[in-house]
Amino acid sequence: MAKKNEVALIRRGETALVRRADPKEELITAVCDIFEMPDAFVVKLDMPGSSKEGVSVTVESDILTVRGMVKSLHRETVSMLMREIVALSYYRVFNLGKGLNADRTQAEFEDGVLTLTIPKADNYKERRISIS
Amino acid sequence: MTLIRWKPTHELAHWPSDLWNMQREINRVSDSFMQGGTQDDGSLALSMWTPAVDIVERENEYEVKVELPGVSKDDVKITLESNVLTIRGEKKQEREEKGENTHRVERSYGSFQRSFTLPTIVKRDKIDACYSDGVLAIILPKAEEAKPKQIEVKVK
Repeated sequence: MAKKNEVALIRRGETALVRRADPKEELITAVCDIFEMPDAFVVKLDMPGSSKEGVSVTVESDILTVRGMVKSLHRETVSMLMREIVALSYYRVFNLGKGLNADRTQAEFEDGVLTLTIPKADNYKERRISIS
Repeated sequence: MTLIRWKPTHELAHWPSDLWNMQREINRVSDSFMQGGTQDDGSLALSMWTPAVDIVERENEYEVKVELPGVSKDDVKITLESNVLTIRGEKKQEREEKGENTHRVERSYGSFQRSFTLPTIVKRDKIDACYSDGVLAIILPKAEEAKPKQIEVKVK
């Protein structure tokens, strides 16, 4: 069940957890959108300033972890007239639960957005039963 | 002449509705100021979200960085009017993002606008902008007269 810093996403009796970054660490919770397609879940995470090389996606049993390192920001000793961009690295954890084929997750990084496509397991896909 | 009994509450009877309308008007004006900047034609534009911005000043230039993840390059407009730099654009939702089976929406969509007054004059024709990995970086070189100059002092 959902612990602190975790948000449960319940669907047909399954629990998918979305964990936010620990505020004590220097991590930013990457904001995400989750869409359900007939045969897969699509997760889009905003990670501006990171790069394809700086992003890592790992799956351990049914826990999917996303991390993203931000390329050197203005760490130079210059005068900052405005400072709003705070991210040093991004972090987000998803508990996929049953019914997803996490090993076949596809990841794409474009324009600062990481798109994860997590296919549903065959027996969890929506099937239409014809009425005879 | 008839005497009419003075009822203090009578005069107040019109107050609540007037005050209510005034309060509403103030809220409406202040809300539109908070949410948006002005358009070219002077009308107030609604901004749906505010992208984060960093501005760095170097000896010869300013660098403005704007976090715009998932925004198409063609949907961003940068303008410089006298010394006011304005970045405006729109983050469009993709087809799948409008789908019925949406479980979570944390990302921002819609139009945005931000304006900044630069402290010195910049070379208008040398402004360079590049968009990569969701971050828009604008380099604005300072005009010659705005650069720091060293004046030699001759001691006689």
